[in-house]
Amino acid sequence: MISKEICERVLQKAASTGADYAELFAENTLNHSVNLVGGKVDSVHDAQIAGAAVRVFLGLRSVMATTVDTTEAGLLRCAQRAAEALAQGKAEISITLRERLFGDIHPIQIAPASVANADKVLLLKDACSAASGYHDAVVQVTGTLLDVDHHILIATSEGLWAQDRQIRTRLMVNAVAEINGETQTGGCHPGARRGMELFEAVDPKAVGQEAARQAVTMAGAGYCPAGVMPVAIGNGFGGVIFHEACGHSLEASSVAYGNSQFCGKLGEKIAHEKVTAIDDGTIPNEWGSVNIDDEGTPSHRNVLIENGVLKSYMIDKFNGRRMGMPPTGNARRESFSYVPTSRMTNTFIAPGNDKNEDIIASIEYGLYAKEMGGGSVNPVTGEFNFSVNEGYLIRNGKVCEPVRGASLVGKGSEILPKIDMVGSDLACGQGMCGSSSGSIPTNVGQPLIRVSSITVGGR
Amino acid sequence: MDFQAFRQIAAEEAAKLQIEEYELYYRLEENTSVSAFRHEINNFSSASEGGVCLRCLINGKMGYASTQQLSDESARALVHRAADNAAVLETAEPEFLVGAGQSYEAVSASRVPLPDADSMRKTALDGQDALYAQQSVIDGCETEVFAGRTCIAIHNSRGLSLEYENTVSGAFVAAVVSDGKPDGEKANNYKIRLGQLDKLDLNAAASEAAADARATLGAGVAPTGSMPVVFSSKAMAQLLGTYAGIFSAENVQKGLSLLKDKEGSTVAAPIVTLVDDPFYDKSAMPMPFDAEGSPTRRKNIIENGVLTTLLYNLRTAAAAGKTTTGNGAKTSYDAKVGIRPFTLYLVNGPFTQEQLLQKAQNGVLIDSLGGLHAGANTISGDFSLQSSGFLIENGQKTAPVRSFTVAGNFFRLLEGISAVGNDPLPPTSISPTAFVSPSVLVEGLSIAGK
Repeated sequence: MISKEICERVLQKAASTGADYAELFAENTLNHSVNLVGGKVDSVHDAQIAGAAVRVFLGLRSVMATTVDTTEAGLLRCAQRAAEALAQGKAEISITLRERLFGDIHPIQIAPASVANADKVLLLKDACSAASGYHDAVVQVTGTLLDVDHHILIATSEGLWAQDRQIRTRLMVNAVAEINGETQTGGCHPGARRGMELFEAVDPKAVGQEAARQAVTMAGAGYCPAGVMPVAIGNGFGGVIFHEACGHSLEASSVAYGNSQFCGKLGEKIAHEKVTAIDDGTIPNEWGSVNIDDEGTPSHRNVLIENGVLKSYMIDKFNGRRMGMPPTGNARRESFSYVPTSRMTNTFIAPGNDKNEDIIASIEYGLYAKEMGGGSVNPVTGEFNFSVNEGYLIRNGKVCEPVRGASLVGKGSEILPKIDMVGSDLACGQGMCGSSSGSIPTNVGQPLIRVSSITVGGR
Repeated sequence: MDFQAFRQIAAEEAAKLQIEEYELYYRLEENTSVSAFRHEINNFSSASEGGVCLRCLINGKMGYASTQQLSDESARALVHRAADNAAVLETAEPEFLVGAGQSYEAVSASRVPLPDADSMRKTALDGQDALYAQQSVIDGCETEVFAGRTCIAIHNSRGLSLEYENTVSGAFVAAVVSDGKPDGEKANNYKIRLGQLDKLDLNAAASEAAADARATLGAGVAPTGSMPVVFSSKAMAQLLGTYAGIFSAENVQKGLSLLKDKEGSTVAAPIVTLVDDPFYDKSAMPMPFDAEGSPTRRKNIIENGVLTTLLYNLRTAAAAGKTTTGNGAKTSYDAKVGIRPFTLYLVNGPFTQEQLLQKAQNGVLIDSLGGLHAGANTISGDFSLQSSGFLIENGQKTAPVRSFTVAGNFFRLLEGISAVGNDPLPPTSISPTAFVSPSVLVEGLSIAGK
């Protein structure tokens, strides 16, 4: 993308006022998606994101400047802006970059850009017609097939020069069902760090049917009752509970500033001993995986919580300085326009020993949250919320009728000790996580778990 | 290469492909932000971003493509990409390009002189001083000062040539407070002030942020049950923002809004009037034209409870046999033209918030809502949302409560608004889209607490 020699000159310029660290991040990304509404191709989104960001540190100060002009002159001007904003000093440093090679552990077979629009349309139509044909109650179906070809280059004053090409593909089908005037929605959104070979593992028809099944089930459901009760949360996207209740509060962007309920708790028990939680960006071809993070640090498998004890935070280079801790391969940014910070990759609760049937049977009256929606958290207080897309009441240890409109709220530090049963059917779900460094792909995951008591919003 | 040169090359390439109708939409944003922590500047960023979106009409289908690279090669590639994308489109309703010769409202954009880096640093540090002067404030308070310029240009093959520039500056102060006990409870709150930096009252902003955070310390749990709810100005604006999409003709035509065939019908209580105003006097970004280049205008969406109009762009207006309301919008420069309001606000009623609390007698005052992207279903209208606020006991605001949910249905809520407040309306957001509301009283919503 940009030669080593140019990168060296840009970094030298960036460090010319005394920076103790300089970094150039450049990207060339193609975002492509085909959108279907009511069986017809409604729009095609096709955007090239291309530009660069220069970042310099001096102690605990950080400056970033960005540009869409990636000629040498444009990059040098950008570096100059960063240097001038950082300090007034004068420094001459010599930087020699060496390419760091790493094995690509996320091989791609069929680059989406090599597949014609018309073929993508056929696949999407397969998925959407399976949804509309699922049941008479399905009144509208929308679908999106999106692919991202994200090519990044990172060069730093430490001598690093590395590139990565991250290709991701995702199929999203949403269905609307109406029964007796009550409208509800369902969705299914599988994705991976794969090319179009994703659809050797994922059947588009099954995706459409799943979206429709959820919508039809929920359209026929009554409202979820409100109150405090035990909740069994299903595997896959159910892992969003850990993502919100704990994950965000373990990011250095909160911890470094003392703005996390888990500051200073390393080595302490913060969760039930059955809870082991991991952030792992090295899982081959997973949605949230990266070879290197957006600061060039190789991705790691980080055990965050082991048997209830807090073991690690997720740390980027800049916040790591304040914390006096090394980066963990979690620095991420949506694009060059965002200042990178510590974020999650694939985050999940590890499988335990409880049997699914025992978890359900243990609940006399409560909620089975089979499919979860999104959520959010305030890391300072730990208060989180998330919505239940498909829920069922549990009575006398049996899953009974479906209920809709439920949400779960609580405080992370209070909920973690209440995750007191952990099943073994670990699965992951794909999401886009939004935070200060933009919207990035992350996996959430868990086996079926039980939360012994939590506030269920309903009516 | 600048945008003018890029336009020339794209035009040549379009001519080669015999594309007669096309438009180039250009957006450039230059944003600078400075943040401070522990009385020191810790982050400075100067970002320049944006790009060009080309859309072209081929056989009645509008294909889109965009790029951030202004080069000869990318200009030519852009035309081919947009043409390829047009070829697979199937929806029946065509998009249109606006012709030259429209008349536009004169708006006073660019009202703030952009500050230099030194005055931004000074304001960020002043913000720290203001925060740490507050009672109960602890380590962790952040301030951020921002300034930005937005340029938009729309040029099309029908002779339309529009340019717009706007600047904005402001500051964000975030207070963290504690109850003072070892390992005690913390709470946080932030305020944003927009305007010329040397005229911002950061002491007042810091004081409000700290006071609002302190007020939530020691929060208990709300009771469970059905009860009257007063939504604060902030919480009601959050709800309006979440559900604004129901007024989009695009969602209606796609079967994704329940307001289908409701124009002219009663959809809200008679005391409800909802306005969309592109020239709202506190807007930081008043807009004379929309993302298609159509002139914008102020209109009532709901007037005394009756849905007077949906929001239209050219495509949806043509499909409905109406004229555009000038609400064509792009969520970013590269997006397809959709529909969004400008400043959407609920018209004030006669009551102070205290009077609304009196009317409620016993219930909850919801000050802030969370998880709106997940807990609110914009199609069915159902919501179940994390809330924080205060108990209302005997008509008075009493103890703080948190971590409870409010559940209901937005369509029922509009019908069930029983009194509208007259709170002074806060300044709006830095984007052209903003949501503003006074406090409102709604009877009988479901609260889930203990």
